Amino acid sequence: MRKSPDLPYILLFLGPALILVGIFVYVAVLWNIYISLTDWRGLLPSYRFVGLLQYKQLFHDPVFWTSLKNNILLLLLFVPGSILMGLLLAIMLDRKIKFEGGFRTIYTLPFALSFVVTATLWAWMYDPSSGVLNTLFEKLHLEFLESRWITDPNIAMYCIIIALIWQFSGYTMIIYLAGIRSIPIDHYEAAVIDGASTWQVYRYVVIPQLVKPTLSAFVVLMVFSLKAFDFIWVLTRGGPGTSTFILAIQMYKETFAKTNFAYGAAIATILLLMALAVVLPYLYWSYRGEKE
Amino acid sequence: MKVKITPLRILMYIILIFLAFGYLLPIWSAITTSTKTGEQVALTTPIQLILPPYFGAYKIAFENLKRPIINSLIFTTLATIFSTVLGSLAGFTLAKLMRGSVSKKLLILITFGVFLPYQSILIPLVRLISSLGLYNTIPGLVLTHTAYGIPITTLLFTNYYYEIPDELVEAAKVDGASAAGIYTKIILPLSMPAFVVTAIYQFTSIWNDYLFGVVLTRGEEAMPATVMLANLKGSFVANWNVQMAGALIVALPTLIIMIALGKYLIRGYTSGAIKG
Repeated sequence: MRKSPDLPYILLFLGPALILVGIFVYVAVLWNIYISLTDWRGLLPSYRFVGLLQYKQLFHDPVFWTSLKNNILLLLLFVPGSILMGLLLAIMLDRKIKFEGGFRTIYTLPFALSFVVTATLWAWMYDPSSGVLNTLFEKLHLEFLESRWITDPNIAMYCIIIALIWQFSGYTMIIYLAGIRSIPIDHYEAAVIDGASTWQVYRYVVIPQLVKPTLSAFVVLMVFSLKAFDFIWVLTRGGPGTSTFILAIQMYKETFAKTNFAYGAAIATILLLMALAVVLPYLYWSYRGEKE
Repeated sequence: MKVKITPLRILMYIILIFLAFGYLLPIWSAITTSTKTGEQVALTTPIQLILPPYFGAYKIAFENLKRPIINSLIFTTLATIFSTVLGSLAGFTLAKLMRGSVSKKLLILITFGVFLPYQSILIPLVRLISSLGLYNTIPGLVLTHTAYGIPITTLLFTNYYYEIPDELVEAAKVDGASAAGIYTKIILPLSMPAFVVTAIYQFTSIWNDYLFGVVLTRGEEAMPATVMLANLKGSFVANWNVQMAGALIVALPTLIIMIALGKYLIRGYTSGAIKG
């Protein structure tokens, strides 16, 4: 780098940010990986290096496979579910709907709430004895729809996914509305003059322009689905049994309930690798276009 | 513009209204349940509104949440200010003082923190904060939230400063202004919209955090409101009306921001995604 009179200011302005990110992100990540290669357990500072032993144990741990399966379930249902719901809402709201602002506010309200708040609300929705859904179905004489919801290990994970789509579809809707509205109006007009039907306008003008927002939403939701800890932890603590464990929950339990630090760190490293697999191609793709 | 009424439009309104009920149901039943006595909760359906409302549940919830809410207000405000200011300074440096690939690489390096699964730094974080003597303290939470806020605030400000023409900065340099002078005299006055968006975004996400709060605090001295609310949910004393009242109290600041300043919050969430 050439010497410039700005150099002291560069150090002064960028320094604090770089130091904090350096320590709290990069040093911490490496430190965690190092812990995962030791046998650190309990409160004893035994830091014996044991190589990949924790990972070997992890791959023989049935709870790990349950957690991984639930992470994949979130990836396959929650991520596309939120994206499709958001796209549907955005397309409908874009078609000159009366009270558009009102609808938009209603759909985005859940997104402003914290996971602890939404988990509390949905615990009441799903409460099997006197909760909102079962009482409502009873009153409407739809008793066949009553269920044990989050206390039924077979469907608890799906209950969580529905609540998460409720919370996140407002976010994807906003992204898509902004995306649709940033398409220049003459693109539409040109298509209509050429005699395109509504369906064709969406197929050939709108949808192709939404690739970038879709990719961004995918990355944000996928990374979120890896760490959807707060909501599940507060709603079910991972139960019944281990039926709603995801890797983030297993990591938390191993680390803070069982003080099995090295094992928790190994799960955390797997989570990091999964996030990297999503984020690195995305970062490469999104900055590639800007290279000078 | 006149819009023709077609069966498809009517169907769209039916779907939109049906979904609006679905989206409001959890919030509506929280409002109705929180304004009932325990007996009324047992005897009425959750969607039934009882008038006049009973505020006893709010009293109990607030007594439990008072200290944690004050804690949350303090550390959220401080961490919002610090992370926003540091993000602005870093963004200005990356977008206007530095050029080319070094600046791009540093931005990617910082931005990666936006996507970091926090579980993968959790154990070192607790060790770090403990060894600094900041476990279970407000400064510990301020430091943590400031550090993990910087990636997103830097991203938002850098993108914003890219839009400010370089000529403005060059002209000031020719006139002999230093980097500090350019920042305070030219950039800062132009940055107010970015400050509003970023600060609102940061306030909401720090207020809503649970994970850092639950691993970095114990007892009431520094406990955030979200952690106390989760404890309230887990305790056998709390009934559904108290839980719902607690949830609505904790949700209030972010709900107000969403309704009053929603467009700024939304701009924070979309500007990263649309620009990539």
